[in-house]
Amino acid sequence: MRQFVIWVFIVGISGSITAQPSPQLLFDEANTLLEENEFEEAMAIYHQIEYSGYQSGALFLNMGINAVQLDSLGLAKYYFLKSNDFASTRYSSEIALEYVNSQFSRQSAMLPKLPWDKAVDSIKDGTGAMGVFVLGFISILISLFLVLSRWFNLWVFKKQPALILSFGALSLLLVALAFYVDYVDQRYSEAVIVTAEIQVKQQPDTNADLVSLAYEGYEITIDNLRSENEPNWLYIRLGNGQYGWIERGGSKTL
Amino acid sequence: MIKTGKSIGFVLSILLSFTFSAASAQEITVSASLTETNIFAGESVRLNIVVSGQSLNSIDRPQMPSVDGLRWLSGSTSQSTNYSYVNGRPSVSYTYGYVFIAQTPGEYLFPSLSVSVNGEQFTTQSIRFNVLNPETVDPTQAQRSPDIYVRLEPSTSNPVVGEQVIADIVLYFKSEVEVSNYQPTSGWKAEGFWKEELENQRQARTTSTIINGVRYQRARLLQYAIFPTKSGELTLSPYEIVVQVRNRNQRRDIFSFGLGQERMELNTLPVTIDVRPLPSLNNATSSGAVGTFEITRSITPDKAFVGESVEITTTIRGQGNIPLIVKPEFEFPEALEQYDPQETTNITRANRQIAGTKTFTDIVIARNEGRFEIPEVSMAYYNPQRERFETIRLPALTLEAERDPRATPINTNELRFDVEPITGLANWTSPSSAPIYSRPWAWGMLLTPFFLLGVAFAFKTYSDKMNTDTAFARSQKARDKAMQELDKVHPNGDIKTGYFHIEKSLSQFISDKLDLPKAGLSHQKLIKEVKEKAGSTLSNELKRLLNKCETITYAPNPTQEGLKSDLTKAEELIKTLGKSL
Repeated sequence: MRQFVIWVFIVGISGSITAQPSPQLLFDEANTLLEENEFEEAMAIYHQIEYSGYQSGALFLNMGINAVQLDSLGLAKYYFLKSNDFASTRYSSEIALEYVNSQFSRQSAMLPKLPWDKAVDSIKDGTGAMGVFVLGFISILISLFLVLSRWFNLWVFKKQPALILSFGALSLLLVALAFYVDYVDQRYSEAVIVTAEIQVKQQPDTNADLVSLAYEGYEITIDNLRSENEPNWLYIRLGNGQYGWIERGGSKTL
Repeated sequence: MIKTGKSIGFVLSILLSFTFSAASAQEITVSASLTETNIFAGESVRLNIVVSGQSLNSIDRPQMPSVDGLRWLSGSTSQSTNYSYVNGRPSVSYTYGYVFIAQTPGEYLFPSLSVSVNGEQFTTQSIRFNVLNPETVDPTQAQRSPDIYVRLEPSTSNPVVGEQVIADIVLYFKSEVEVSNYQPTSGWKAEGFWKEELENQRQARTTSTIINGVRYQRARLLQYAIFPTKSGELTLSPYEIVVQVRNRNQRRDIFSFGLGQERMELNTLPVTIDVRPLPSLNNATSSGAVGTFEITRSITPDKAFVGESVEITTTIRGQGNIPLIVKPEFEFPEALEQYDPQETTNITRANRQIAGTKTFTDIVIARNEGRFEIPEVSMAYYNPQRERFETIRLPALTLEAERDPRATPINTNELRFDVEPITGLANWTSPSSAPIYSRPWAWGMLLTPFFLLGVAFAFKTYSDKMNTDTAFARSQKARDKAMQELDKVHPNGDIKTGYFHIEKSLSQFISDKLDLPKAGLSHQKLIKEVKEKAGSTLSNELKRLLNKCETITYAPNPTQEGLKSDLTKAEELIKTLGKSL
């Protein structure tokens, strides 16, 4: 009986390993294929890791290098931008991005961002919405502590009411800011055009008037809220400030 | 020797007098017009002769000849004068009116008239007019015809895609109707068309017309230029307009109080336009232009440094569907890096047409030195008047790019891709991007401080009340005090002392609970208060216990068991009273 239980346990463990190999194992396998110039096969395994939900700066950097070898520069830019979010690969991805950007024959004019948008972006890239939310929570706790210490005469001083109000207002502001940054993060996504050329239309219709053309490597912003009702189209903002619709599939969302 | 001084002066004086007389003759205009050219027999019509010019010294009025079909009312001649400035110079015009009555039905010609102005003879144009027989008009049909209506009148009903169609919004109203003002309603949709409102006159000019034997005043209120964007049958939806009208037959409103005025909403009927497709085009590039255009292309500068931006400007100028013209695509050499093109449109809406310029600017940067050629291209636009494509050849453009001697030489190695893949162990993460509002713990974090605040507030209120409200404090502490008193009872101790503590505990509990005086209370008073607040069952039990406590001294055989039982009953009574009081 005991032997049977051990046997079932071993079979179960080995079965689960077979069903879902570790990302590191797959990564090593894909890296070997990359070194052997088997780029298509390597990319297929990298994709397998990516779709399983695991992320790493090294994974995206290697995928970008593989995409360069496959002459898919839009895709390469997309992966280098993703690897740029990881501190461990930031330096390499910046060098790679400089090279990839120099290879595009068409460059998109980029409008400078408004100060408010810059501030929201810096919060997103810095503490993040969750960090601001936690700061707001701490501020609420401080405000609460000051209120209770005054109520129960534990710690009373002259400017305590003003301090309570200040921390209360600050906590409201921080929580509201956290929700706003989170809303912006959820509603808008950065993306990269990965096809050679894509038409930007005024309406989500192939017969609609043309607004502009977007080329491989263009960085765009997707409005997820407006796009959610159109299964085949995405509402985007180009770097030069123009808005329009593109067919899904021509871009990859960061 | 020949004397020349006198002869030169003579020639100059002749030239000046000739120039002056020619200029005076050119300044004077004489015209004649009939207020109606379709007149019913018996109706009156006026002939207006207008003499205008900058220097009118003498005018001899024309003598009215006998005109076939009309009879002149000789006593009805009128005259008016109007002064104005034309090109910064004063001008005057005299208008002479002659009223006629139409006679016999038929087609006639009002003869030309001769007018002497400043001693010079001017002749007016002859005018064709018809005198209609009023008996031919069906009176019932005339009665049925509406007093006022509005129509949408396109200039053509069979244009090609992109051709300009003028859509007039025209108001028709009978003579007895007076239109004081009109207001177009916004939101007219011309689906399938690009729409541009043309420059409209502030005050619509009316003309007279006869429709189905009924005389109407016709006023063109608004004008739009519309351009079909696709072929097939397209329908222009009804145009809505609000007019303020008054019937002239009603009594006059001499103080302008708005008496008898009526507000009417009028709609045009839908108008269907059959749009033809453009013919096929071979060996040329079309940017969708329909009209008459000039197309040019230029490069600025044609010599540039490597990395310097160069503009290729394509200008399409003329009349037609300028807003709908799309950017022509040119073939650029691979070595030229292209940036997003710019587009500017400048249009005018005067003189019943959309005209102007559309400019497309391609921005390129040479990435290497050399001589680059942007090839020749043939561009076509469709001319609807000639019903064919017109082709314009845009010559090839040449750009000579050279390296800037002041620029830092580019190290070609910098452009090499020398990023190596990362092998070995990687740091794996599984990020989650769920929004904050969908995470329950976030709401928990937000609500916890408020919950704590609520609890603290309740505790503080309770504490404050205990310190300030004696009755409340006594009531809250009553049970504890009573129980402490009962704890003094030893079941195996002295029976009388035990009942003393039970009596004290009960009395103290009830007086604390009901905020009664601490001393001087009789048992009857306590029983009465309990009966009022908690009912007779509990008061009877209380009465029994208190009586026993009072009479235990005289009891024949008090036992320890009886004390234990009464102690238990007293505890239960205090618990029950604690809930009831």
